Amino acid sequence: MEQTVPLEHPIRKTRFKRLLVRHRDAFIAAAILGPMIFWWLVTSGFPTLFGFVLGFFEWIGIQGNPKFIGLDNYIRFFQDPLYYGALLRSIWMGALVSITTLSAGFGAALLMNMPLFGKGVYRSIWYIPAVTSTVATTQIFNLLLDPNNGMINNFIKSMGYEPIVWQFSVPWSVFWIVVYSVWKGVGGAALIWLAGLQSVDVTLYEAADIDGAGRRQKLRHVTIPGLKPIATYIIITSLIGAIQIYEQVMFMTGGGPYGQTEVLVFRIYRDAFWDFNLGMAGASSLVMAVIVFTVTTIYYRRTTRSDRRMTIPLKKVK
Amino acid sequence: MASPIVRLKPVRKANPLHFAAHVVLLGVGLILLYPLFFMILAGFFSKEEFSMTILPFIPIPNNPTLMNYKTLIFGSVDSSTSTYILNSLYRTLYNTFWALLTSFLAGYAFARLKFKGKDGLFLTLLATQMIPGTIALIPTYLQLARWPYANGNDIFTGGTGILNTWWVYLIGGPAINIMGMFLVKQSLEKVPIELDEAAKVDGAGTLRLIFQILLPLQLPILAFVAITTALGTWNDFATPFFYTSSDSLQTLPSAITRMSSAAIGPVGTPNYPMMITLGLGTTLPALLIFFFFQKYIVQGLASTGIKG
Repeated sequence: MEQTVPLEHPIRKTRFKRLLVRHRDAFIAAAILGPMIFWWLVTSGFPTLFGFVLGFFEWIGIQGNPKFIGLDNYIRFFQDPLYYGALLRSIWMGALVSITTLSAGFGAALLMNMPLFGKGVYRSIWYIPAVTSTVATTQIFNLLLDPNNGMINNFIKSMGYEPIVWQFSVPWSVFWIVVYSVWKGVGGAALIWLAGLQSVDVTLYEAADIDGAGRRQKLRHVTIPGLKPIATYIIITSLIGAIQIYEQVMFMTGGGPYGQTEVLVFRIYRDAFWDFNLGMAGASSLVMAVIVFTVTTIYYRRTTRSDRRMTIPLKKVK
Repeated sequence: MASPIVRLKPVRKANPLHFAAHVVLLGVGLILLYPLFFMILAGFFSKEEFSMTILPFIPIPNNPTLMNYKTLIFGSVDSSTSTYILNSLYRTLYNTFWALLTSFLAGYAFARLKFKGKDGLFLTLLATQMIPGTIALIPTYLQLARWPYANGNDIFTGGTGILNTWWVYLIGGPAINIMGMFLVKQSLEKVPIELDEAAKVDGAGTLRLIFQILLPLQLPILAFVAITTALGTWNDFATPFFYTSSDSLQTLPSAITRMSSAAIGPVGTPNYPMMITLGLGTTLPALLIFFFFQKYIVQGLASTGIKG
């Protein structure tokens, strides 16, 4: 009879312990993830959601009162050339930057994949522009292109030709923005292509050798099919990155001449921080977000279905 | 024995294709480095000489001066260079520390622990990475300005909140680093679970397992997380430029941004050599990080890109 009393306590204790043991992982996970996800929601999740909502309001100036106007901002977006024009420019300039960077990077990767002496050095040299600060290096490009005392124009003058005022010409402005972006991105593209080239199964090349395939045939029938997964990855991430470029536009042309190089993200900055048109900035951000999200989702659907690969688009390595 | 023998190993001859590859890689590589050469040379100019020189591609000063480099390293009366450098440095260390801590622990939780809703949570977090950051730009500004009970705010309005304070830089730190979490998870999943079990059998507790056994194996991918975070923070001009205004809070890139927007203004000749030297001061530490850890960058880029 007396034994039952002290027994009760240990039994309850083991039950609690069993609960703790059974859900041990969950407790540890909650302790680890809880605080950091909560804080992420506060500092990152909430502003993002807020940004989605912002586009449905008319809100001029931070002191002003937001007024709900439904879809008016979006209707304006697709009617005003200031906005849809900026979107189109983002797309075609982004495509231009992407295509040039990726093809130059692919060429470089093919060369770096050869058994060359000192190829590690080349890899580093080509990647260096990617780690430099945009502010600092666009400045050098601006000096290079200065109409009065730029290095290029001084060279042209010394050859006896008329100097070119790059900043007044749309094609030249676009050209130099593309040159800067390629300068900065080509090394990173080459590294990823190179990793792709080296992941192609070596035995396939040996088999091709036995079958008597030449260099060009091997490129066409072994290398390119083997590169397909990484090609999708790099094309998508590079496109997503390129339609969002704005720093080089901001620092090199300021959107000029006459707003002809103004891309959408730069327009968002102007709306938000110069004109304080918060509603339109929110609406434009949402349009950009939807485009990026759609492109990425399509990419995921295709890749995860085909080979269950989990890759996520890298935010640009600055 | 003059009869021809089938050669098993072909003798290495000068391959014209290899020669061409060297020429292209080196030639284009040097062109890619040109802006850095220019920066180094321009730093030896005085402001006056620079504005009077008709700039050639390779500018050589007649009266080289070390003034700009001295200002960069030791600061000067009219320039708070050392403040900018220290601000950049503190921000970089702070962000890198948190990035490492959150991505390692979160990566461990998602790779090794079993709990309900794990996959859903993981995919939701990943999906948010596809939303472009620009959308949060203005809301973040408002959030900082309306931070409850800070700097004269009643619950939301009235004061300036934590805009233009050190909190702008500190606030984001403890939030989960999703990119890093993803990378650590992928890398941890390649470590056999038997290792954990063996450690447990030998009497290691959870903390010991995490920090003494699993952590050392994750150093390469953590190095990649650290490098990308460090470079990103070091070169970030947007956060200080948009959310702070006082001089004592500027970092190197944002200080250059301000100087160059001042340079476009109508008053006076801009001090280009000084601006360029500051730019070089921004670039060099990034280059050093890159050179010391480039092995990890290559590995990291490859592992994000190719396979999980």
